[in-house]
Amino acid sequence: MRPIIKVVDLCKQYPLVTRTQSALRYDTLRESMVNGVRTSFKRLIGNGYGAKERLWALKDVSFEVMPGEVLGVIGPNGAGKSTLLQILSRIIEPSSGYAELYGRVGSLLEIGTGFHPDLSGRENVYLNGAILGMSRKEINSRFDEIVAFAEVERFLETAVKRYSSGMYVRLAFAVAAHLNPDILIVDEVLAVGDSDFQKKCFDKMEEVIKGGRTILLVTHSMPLIAQLCENAILLKGGQVQKVGPAEDVVNHYYSISDASVAL
Amino acid sequence: MTVISPQSSESSPDASVLQESLTVIETKRVRKPSFNVPITPLVTIKASRPWSPLDLRFLWSHRELLYFLIWRDVKVRYKQTLLGATWAIIQPLIMMIIFTFFLSKVARLPTEGVPSPLFYYAGFALWTFFSNAVLSGANSLIGNTNLITKIYVPRLIIPSAAVLAGLIDFAIASLLFVPMIFYFDLGLTWSILFLLPLSIILTTLALGAGILFSALNTKYRDVRYALPFLLQVWMFMSPIMYPSSIVPRQWRWVFSLNPLTGIIESYRSSLFGLPLHHLSLAYSILFTAVLLSVAAYTFRRMEKSFAEVI
Repeated sequence: MRPIIKVVDLCKQYPLVTRTQSALRYDTLRESMVNGVRTSFKRLIGNGYGAKERLWALKDVSFEVMPGEVLGVIGPNGAGKSTLLQILSRIIEPSSGYAELYGRVGSLLEIGTGFHPDLSGRENVYLNGAILGMSRKEINSRFDEIVAFAEVERFLETAVKRYSSGMYVRLAFAVAAHLNPDILIVDEVLAVGDSDFQKKCFDKMEEVIKGGRTILLVTHSMPLIAQLCENAILLKGGQVQKVGPAEDVVNHYYSISDASVAL
Repeated sequence: MTVISPQSSESSPDASVLQESLTVIETKRVRKPSFNVPITPLVTIKASRPWSPLDLRFLWSHRELLYFLIWRDVKVRYKQTLLGATWAIIQPLIMMIIFTFFLSKVARLPTEGVPSPLFYYAGFALWTFFSNAVLSGANSLIGNTNLITKIYVPRLIIPSAAVLAGLIDFAIASLLFVPMIFYFDLGLTWSILFLLPLSIILTTLALGAGILFSALNTKYRDVRYALPFLLQVWMFMSPIMYPSSIVPRQWRWVFSLNPLTGIIESYRSSLFGLPLHHLSLAYSILFTAVLLSVAAYTFRRMEKSFAEVI
């Protein structure tokens, strides 16, 4: 079987603004003005920073994901998890390396992207659905399901700024949950609502997994990784530390850090 | 940190959960509808070359999103107002009243034989649309940060929608021409049909400016502060509250460098049946085409770093 996601030597580096370049160094007004003009001139012609120091958010990351696989992405803060998802969602470009996607991608780095507070629940379902990549026909056909899932039938014509925060996230999650891509990229958005609704989200997620969807899941919740994922990938300092069956990778993560506290 | 537990009974996140999950995983491996992996990837993600062309097919596939964003802007604009879309008429109407009084009655500026209220209303309806469209286009990206950093949509759609949403207001404001033209007993001529292509040129010019400034705005917030002034200067340099005939002959060519000049003059000409200025209109069309190309190219180049610099 061939992979549905193929990531090869993916790198992402960011320039670091160092203290010598910041305004803190200037002490006289004249000097700071001269330097201000000089740096803004440099910014205009250069890459925007002119910094020499660089941060590797991702360095030579390679892995493959098979169709139907649920891959957990774990690692400490600043490991590059979000950068990886952002690159695979095409939000930012890699510095080098490449990734090949062999299916339609739906990414949920946040729920309710594009929700407008002044619009009604009904209007926001259409708007958010369109932003997530659903066609109007798809939204029409799933509309009742979405509303029933979110349990907001009575408030469909109410502006979402009048929603309780629970209603708001339920509606936002409901739209996202009814997105139907081949590959789903999810960043820590599952834990919304009260415990009843969380259970519902979890069941929905399992249903999606059973449907054969390929999923990339970032979370700090190790039980969730163990529950949902077959395999996992451990990132640290922008590099892949370990890939393999979820339980092995989770155990390895525990062994290199005292992350059990994070639970 | 909130943790979702599969069954409410096992919420304790210790090793027993891990053990439990092993069995879950075993059952998961068996059944799954197969997915036919195509031979060639749908998308290849890599660092783009600076000269990569616009992906028009990708843009086209998101035309529904363009529609929804325009629809959102239009819906939201007059939410919680008493007068609603009437504001689209009130704004140029008030300008018309002010300028009819001060410029026509007090300063006695000529209006090329057109009744002065009509002359000013035409100018301000057009200018209100243009400046609002450019301004909201320019601020559209920094006002929709989430659409850039949390999801991937063709970004060009965002400023385009903001500019195009202004057309609804423009159409509403233009409705007032019908009673005004009857009131001042101005005969309609066939030249009024030119209004449609002229509106398209004007919209394209606004699109070009909106797209260009929106891209620059992500990196240099100066745009946000400089643009209102630029637009104000632009307004005074355009024949909105005066006819271009009062510009001294030796300065006429400088005046014609403004792409709006040809459009506004032609707009009035076709409304009121005056002769068209072909040359300045041709220049406006050329300028519009060049501006749109430059804007699209700049946008394309800057787009890849939007999520990082915004």
